[in-house]
Amino acid sequence: MAEVQGLTRRAMLGTLGAVGVAAATAVTLAPRAATAQALGQNESVDAALKRVFGSRAMKDGSGMIKLDIPLIAENGAVVPVSVEVNAPMTPQGYVKHIYVIADKNRIPIVTRAVLTPESGQAYVGANIRLGETGDVRAIVEQSDGTLLQVKREVKVTVGGCGG
Amino acid sequence: MSDIGKVRLRVPSSIKAGDVVRVRCLVIHPMERIERDKAGKIIDKKYRYIDKVTVTYLGKTVVSFDTTQNISENPFFAFTFRATDPGKLAVTFHDTHGATYEGTADIAFG
Repeated sequence: MAEVQGLTRRAMLGTLGAVGVAAATAVTLAPRAATAQALGQNESVDAALKRVFGSRAMKDGSGMIKLDIPLIAENGAVVPVSVEVNAPMTPQGYVKHIYVIADKNRIPIVTRAVLTPESGQAYVGANIRLGETGDVRAIVEQSDGTLLQVKREVKVTVGGCGG
Repeated sequence: MSDIGKVRLRVPSSIKAGDVVRVRCLVIHPMERIERDKAGKIIDKKYRYIDKVTVTYLGKTVVSFDTTQNISENPFFAFTFRATDPGKLAVTFHDTHGATYEGTADIAFG
């Protein structure tokens, strides 16, 4: 029994690995566990961006996106950030995802918000951790696939990511 | 520690039908951060942190967040939704240890 279990587990892990690779390249939504795990990986910000967005063009969204974050964060453990996008939220066209990415964190992707037209307005806020001084970006993905990006440097006095 | 999972949900006191409402919510949770040993290697264990937040209104998902350990301890989230009918707004937090915490608010028009 134990051997059979070991075998299936190994086979399962192999399949899961393949699924993970597929999920990273495909735009389709992977199951919850897989996405959550794939989202927070220990990697450089370039690798993270490449993994999530591939080589899709990213436009400057400074006219549309309002990224609200303090310029100096005295305590990196709690940094309030909010992102507001000046875009209509109708079933025909809306903001689908808002990513918050901290360049210098060991796990660069902080959060991904999934919005629907029922949200009414593209606005999200959260308290995040910042390990050290660096850029924080907000990347907005609209329902037609357009990617918009803004970034801002935040000075961190005391890092908050530990380790 | 016994406070883990306490959810506080803040909605404006007066809401009119059709308004876009800003909601703030907070959950008490440790959001364990990555630990490293002396050599700087990541200690491999199942860290306990919230990795998914879903907001439902009238039974339909309005907003959801996929989160990593980069969210601060006792996470705070803000979002909006369009109040069309009176009903229940629920925010559910899922952590990596399988626990779920829920906070609800009744949306009524004054």
